[in-house]
Amino acid sequence: MEKKIIYLRDTDSAQQDRINDFFTLFSNELRDTNLIEQVQLVKIADIGLYEKGVTVKILPENIVYIGIKNNDVKKIIEETIKNNKIIKELLYEKKSKQIRAVLKNCGYIDPESMEDYIAAGGYKALVKVLTEMKPENVIDELKKSGLRGRGGAGYPTWMKWNFARGMNSLEKYVICNGDEGDPGAYMDRSVLEGDPHSVLEGMIIAGYTIGSSKGFFYIRAEYPLAVERVQKAIDQAAAAGLLGSNILGSNFNFELEIRLGAGAFVCGEETALIASIEGKRGTPHPRPPYPSVKGLWDKPTIINNVETLANIPQLIAGGGAKFASIGTEKSKGTKVFALTGKVKNSGLVEVPMGITLREIIFDIGGGILGNRDIKAIQTGGPSGGVIPREFLDTPVDYENLGKLGSIMGSGGMIAIDDTDCLVDLAKFYLKFCVDESCGKCAPCRLGGYQLLRILEKISEGNGELEDLNKLKKISYAMQKASLCGLGQSASNPVFSTIKYFEEEYRQHIVNKRCLAGKCKALVYFKILPQKCKKCGLCMKNCPSNAILGSREAGYVIDPQKCIKCGACFDICKFKAVMKE
Amino acid sequence: MKKLTKGDIEKVDPAKKDIGKNWIKVGMSTCGVAAGAGEVYLALLEESKKRNVEIDIRKCGCQGACSAEPLVEVNVEGLPKVLYGRVTKDVAITILERHVRNKKLLHDYIFEIN
Repeated sequence: MEKKIIYLRDTDSAQQDRINDFFTLFSNELRDTNLIEQVQLVKIADIGLYEKGVTVKILPENIVYIGIKNNDVKKIIEETIKNNKIIKELLYEKKSKQIRAVLKNCGYIDPESMEDYIAAGGYKALVKVLTEMKPENVIDELKKSGLRGRGGAGYPTWMKWNFARGMNSLEKYVICNGDEGDPGAYMDRSVLEGDPHSVLEGMIIAGYTIGSSKGFFYIRAEYPLAVERVQKAIDQAAAAGLLGSNILGSNFNFELEIRLGAGAFVCGEETALIASIEGKRGTPHPRPPYPSVKGLWDKPTIINNVETLANIPQLIAGGGAKFASIGTEKSKGTKVFALTGKVKNSGLVEVPMGITLREIIFDIGGGILGNRDIKAIQTGGPSGGVIPREFLDTPVDYENLGKLGSIMGSGGMIAIDDTDCLVDLAKFYLKFCVDESCGKCAPCRLGGYQLLRILEKISEGNGELEDLNKLKKISYAMQKASLCGLGQSASNPVFSTIKYFEEEYRQHIVNKRCLAGKCKALVYFKILPQKCKKCGLCMKNCPSNAILGSREAGYVIDPQKCIKCGACFDICKFKAVMKE
Repeated sequence: MKKLTKGDIEKVDPAKKDIGKNWIKVGMSTCGVAAGAGEVYLALLEESKKRNVEIDIRKCGCQGACSAEPLVEVNVEGLPKVLYGRVTKDVAITILERHVRNKKLLHDYIFEIN
């Protein structure tokens, strides 16, 4: 009999871990049946399933059983281990919700070795393009695939490339936008660090398609490891003749160079990015003319996001039709999200377009930390909005998220639970945009600042109902009149939080209370004498000596001294400290 | 380096990559390094030499399970490919001794994410 392995895991998080009991049950049973030498039992840390009871996975057959009870153990050993029969009642047919296309190589190959990338099938798309395809064929494949820009706006990639291809100019440029600045987003960094050659290959194909011989990687200086690995990749490719003149024996020449972003968020906006590469101050200017007509040094230029370019090699290798078979009607392919916030398994996920938010948060992310209630999901970073829990079953694609007042954005996804205050969240994102506004146009420079002032006023307890209207008015003006995407979208977090959580704003304004306890000025702590056991733990843990009293007389909080840190609330075992 | 030709790339069969090889891969992107992957990588290199454990130790990028970094993937003939998470220096040494040498999987560190 072939050696088997049984993985064990208790996937219920609400109760005590029963896995040691089951481990004993299984090992006793194996000993009784004299199978202990042929089977290895392993307790594992995560089985990829959540809230499904005690779960086992049997290798090498990959059989997964869920919701196992004590008396099932004998049956599993007897039927599945001994006689290779499957127990239908317990069987769980696990389908992975993730599809690895862009992240196919990330974490599997050595990013510093070109041989490893080639051994995994890399640069085959480039060979195909240079030997079998004309530029217009590449455009056709892109058109068939329905690939849209992964940077946020979702502009069809084939159109962008086709514009630039049609321009009559001796010099054209390809730029890879690696100025990823959204708080909580790091997809591009992972791709650049984990699989730099795939982006390189995408850029070389882009250069061939539009007729360009020079490309720039624009990477933010805060990603030193990404910069180092991309530079290594460029050097390796140049040494192997994949960059330079007459690439792979064709008459196509292409060179690549890295330019570092100095840390301005606005330089992720394409016209500001171009100014930055030209050595000018990184401020946007009005479009049109679009970069594909008049871009870097006034020459036709295409600017694509890292993830878009990383999609190109697999799209070309597999064909546009295959790419289009994944996704929804208008949004094709997969999207990488950086799942963060109050979710159990934070990390990078790659999912097909059209998957629901619930599947991402609960099936892949494993649910909310501490089994709390989910309140909303924030997508798209400072340019995006919040999506309340009622819409968790919405399929994720460009149109649906737009309809809900948020955006796909570059792919940040932050889970928000009931301990998060949405006024505070809106304030955080707005503060970010106010700090990052370049100051060139008035709506963004002044509007953002005024919005922030009003939000601060509300969170300090001085808000008036009229402020809600003011917020909406200024937000609207910013959306309509700002010069670039930063200003146009800076008010999105404010707009969408008011749209879905106006009640929470009213709590802050009318009742002067922040129920989540985030706005310090609107939280009050009180010790309830009837619940207090006079243990004195709160007094010991108070950092500002604001708790007075003794073990005999009981304790009170001095509101003058209280800094509202919540230490007493967290430490009290008897729930005698009240937060309101 | 010798210039590559079309044939060099075309003849590669990605399906044959890694068949029958024993290796350990350590996730060394910013996320992994921040969680301590550098230390784990060095420990694996040093200890495998010291203990005479023969295994190919490599670097790779981020697999995506950031909450479980540092991640170490191990492939040893006769055992399934396994992803270990929250690996420390000590765990790394246990992997060499228990998993690679004695062909027994470790308890409590395996992450089956996909």
